[in-house]
Amino acid sequence: MFNKITRGLLSLALLAIFFSSCSQSILDKQILFGIQSAQRDLWDEAIFRWKKAVLSDPKASAPHNNLAIAYESKGLWQEAKKEYEIALKLDPKNSYIQENYEKFKKNHELIDDAKKDKKK
Amino acid sequence: MNLSMMPKKIKKSRVALLFALLFFISCVSESQFNIRIEAPGKIVLDLDRFSEIFITDFLIKSQAKGLDLNTEIIDYFSSELGNNFKGKISTKKITMEKEEVFKNEDFWKNLSADKENTLFLTGNIQYKEEVRKAVLGRKKKDAEDPFQPEKTLAERRFYLLNLDLYFIDGKTGKALYKKSFKESRNYKNPEQTAYFAFFDLIKAVKEKLFRDLLGERRLQQRYLIIR
Repeated sequence: MFNKITRGLLSLALLAIFFSSCSQSILDKQILFGIQSAQRDLWDEAIFRWKKAVLSDPKASAPHNNLAIAYESKGLWQEAKKEYEIALKLDPKNSYIQENYEKFKKNHELIDDAKKDKKK
Repeated sequence: MNLSMMPKKIKKSRVALLFALLFFISCVSESQFNIRIEAPGKIVLDLDRFSEIFITDFLIKSQAKGLDLNTEIIDYFSSELGNNFKGKISTKKITMEKEEVFKNEDFWKNLSADKENTLFLTGNIQYKEEVRKAVLGRKKKDAEDPFQPEKTLAERRFYLLNLDLYFIDGKTGKALYKKSFKESRNYKNPEQTAYFAFFDLIKAVKEKLFRDLLGERRLQQRYLIIR
């Protein structure tokens, strides 16, 4: 009797692990699909996938970081800045996000400077 | 093997292994991918503000034999700027003797003759050709002729282009953009002519110049991440 209960509990635990890893992989799949699309220069598809990933786990920093890059490549600076800031808020120590954001800021400063020069 | 037949310790370790395996499969994979995106460049001088660009004669400091440097550079920039500038490109003959002329605001204001929105492209140029010789050493192979020389003399044709470019506002006579370019290249080919080498060097100048004038996009790396 005791053996049966232990075995049952063990199977339940295994199932729980399987499903939790499975739900993680659904999120990963969306992100990965987005990455594969971005690598083929299909940024709209990538954005669609990463937005889905954000909906499924709003606290994950990765899709926000990736969305920021997608917006950056499309020239949507405000949207990119917003997504980078969210990603950094969720994962402030992530060196990849930090590096991406630093490069983005540098470009953004250049664009702002150019606009100021034009006004002068 | 039946699980219930196994000793307790082995059973436990098998279960632990199974957990570890599941955890490993679900958690371990590549976490970042490099991607290159096109980032915008900064426009240092906005040519769209002007309706006409006058390319004047250049101050020639030195030039290689058999090349009319002034004509070549004017023709080159007329053509290349013409491909990227919406307004008119004209040339203007002027006599240049000293470098001070680039700072003489009245000179440029008078030259524009009250024409609105004009820009002058001018500058000084130095183009040198040299033949450089170098001794090249090489290791002898075992089965090689023992009387063959270990060192050989190599000859390279070396070309150097020093170019100071000025974009001067016709209205104020002030230089809006000034940049010095120094390009050099050497060629193994002993038949290399100064004429063709010049176009290799001026092309390198053009790429750098147009990055400033047109804000040409450049590739930058970003990290796409999974978790």
